[in-house]
Amino acid sequence: MSVEIKDIHFSYGKIKALNGIDIRLPQGAIGLLGPNGAGKSTLLRILLGFLVPDSGEGSVLGYDIRNQQSVIRRYVGYMPEDDCFIPGMDAVSFTSYMGELSGMPRQEAMKRAHEVLFYVGLEESRYRFLEEYSAGMRQRLKLAQSIVHDPKLIFLDEPTSGLDPQGRKEILELIMDISSKKDIQVLISSHILPDIEQTCSYVVILNKGELAAEGRISELKQVQYSLYELKIKGEEQAFMDRLKSIDSQLEQTEDKIWKVYLPPGTDPQELFKIAVEEKVQVRHFVKSQTSLEDLFAKVVGVD
Amino acid sequence: MTIKERGYTHWDGELRDGRFPWWPITRMGIKLTFKRRFFKLFFGLTLMPALVWLVGIYISERLEDFKFMMEGETDFLNVNPLYFKTYFTNEFLLFMVVMIMVFSGAGLISDDLRHNALQLYFARPLKKRDYLTGKAAVIFFFLLILTLVPGVVFILFKMIFAGNFQFFVSYPWLILSVVAYSLLLTTFFAFYTLLMSSVGKNRRYVSILIFGVYFFSDIFSAIFREIFRSQYFFLLSIKTNLQQIGAVLFRQRTPFNIPWFYSLLVIVAICLFAAYLLKRKVRGVEIIK
Repeated sequence: MSVEIKDIHFSYGKIKALNGIDIRLPQGAIGLLGPNGAGKSTLLRILLGFLVPDSGEGSVLGYDIRNQQSVIRRYVGYMPEDDCFIPGMDAVSFTSYMGELSGMPRQEAMKRAHEVLFYVGLEESRYRFLEEYSAGMRQRLKLAQSIVHDPKLIFLDEPTSGLDPQGRKEILELIMDISSKKDIQVLISSHILPDIEQTCSYVVILNKGELAAEGRISELKQVQYSLYELKIKGEEQAFMDRLKSIDSQLEQTEDKIWKVYLPPGTDPQELFKIAVEEKVQVRHFVKSQTSLEDLFAKVVGVD
Repeated sequence: MTIKERGYTHWDGELRDGRFPWWPITRMGIKLTFKRRFFKLFFGLTLMPALVWLVGIYISERLEDFKFMMEGETDFLNVNPLYFKTYFTNEFLLFMVVMIMVFSGAGLISDDLRHNALQLYFARPLKKRDYLTGKAAVIFFFLLILTLVPGVVFILFKMIFAGNFQFFVSYPWLILSVVAYSLLLTTFFAFYTLLMSSVGKNRRYVSILIFGVYFFSDIFSAIFREIFRSQYFFLLSIKTNLQQIGAVLFRQRTPFNIPWFYSLLVIVAICLFAAYLLKRKVRGVEIIK
């Protein structure tokens, strides 16, 4: 387990930010999801040792989050959400400086800075002052500084925020490349669900400081609920009322297709029985390919 | 070229736990300061008093050759502890020290605050004390060049120009005074400047603060002295306190009629206050409660 925490509590004054979080994260790319204020950034900051939890324990890469923060930071890369840089520097100096601060020898850090800037696509502009960089270039730079010391694990906080579609696509490609082919584990905190769905296989969903769901995305989508798409002919209202009476959730698309969320354990045959009883024809029946967005809405309770 | 074609190779070196993790911060701080416009020229100017004093030491050993210029006034060329004290506590040097702080120190923390760079530092295996030591060492570098280096050079050149060790034998403690005063002045201005730099995100605002607090402390001291007719209001002035301690360290009479250790207490109190505030303000994340 790369990250393991048990019963973590943290408060900002009277506001409870994390309330008894237990997580054991496997290898690979992991998404940390949650609405604003869910506790994602707080959790990342605790894992990095910026904040000390009120109670609970945990480890990152086997190092204790309370007593070995320095060691954790040596082997972990961090890409902050905020726009951050040091004025008066070019990208090469900045990236090698960050490498040196992580413990790399000076010359090695400089050599490595060129390599990672090349990797993230900033080779042409690596001698330009950072003040002149666009938002997209700064995101790439933040990614470069987070991998310059070849970490075993990277925390990415909202890596695609403020990017245009092309920039977002390129950053996501980089993240997927890093996590799938470079043997570097990635923990991405984001509220952009398609980004997580595209890059991660495992997800942790936080809501109001508590763990709302955790697991492989494919498994979670199946376990949490069954979603079917239906087209029917006949008396719709009575049929829908009957479905609601067995705790199903219903949604109609613009194409007049009904999305029916059956509660866990409900046999889909039940749908047909009700259709027969209410004398409606089922003209289209498909087990829907559920998205992370559906799962998120379900566990967090938002539309 | 697509991202995948560019490749990424693992680094096969070993991350080190350096003895001086703050050193890269210091080196970068000095480098960035020298890159600032007009700084090299200005820094050269700040060394002018040292050059003048050095010439004075040379002339003091060749008084016969320069007699035509002196018109009998040669007391000020008598190289003794007073000569050193005059260099270290003269108003022009202190003004230059403050100006160097404005150039080199104002942005040390404020730039990091403005550009959210603190989290980049603290996401590394750096402790708060490493960060602050690295930043303070930038100030030490510049101020020791203005204080300790000239002081040692004066002593060395006095002996070289005289061709004997008589000066050192006469004042063996002087080198300690030079070291002690240089360290005191530098330590005080390091705390003072870092404190000012941590209270604002705007370098210009911080520059005004560094300059303003120093000079207004002197002005307010004078105003209160006039109003209350008390010498103790000298303690409000940063400059006066430094001059008082300087006089004691160089074994000279204190220029103001107040106990010197009060001045030392004021200076130490400012340093402690600055250390306390810096500890609170410098952190990896901004916590809004």
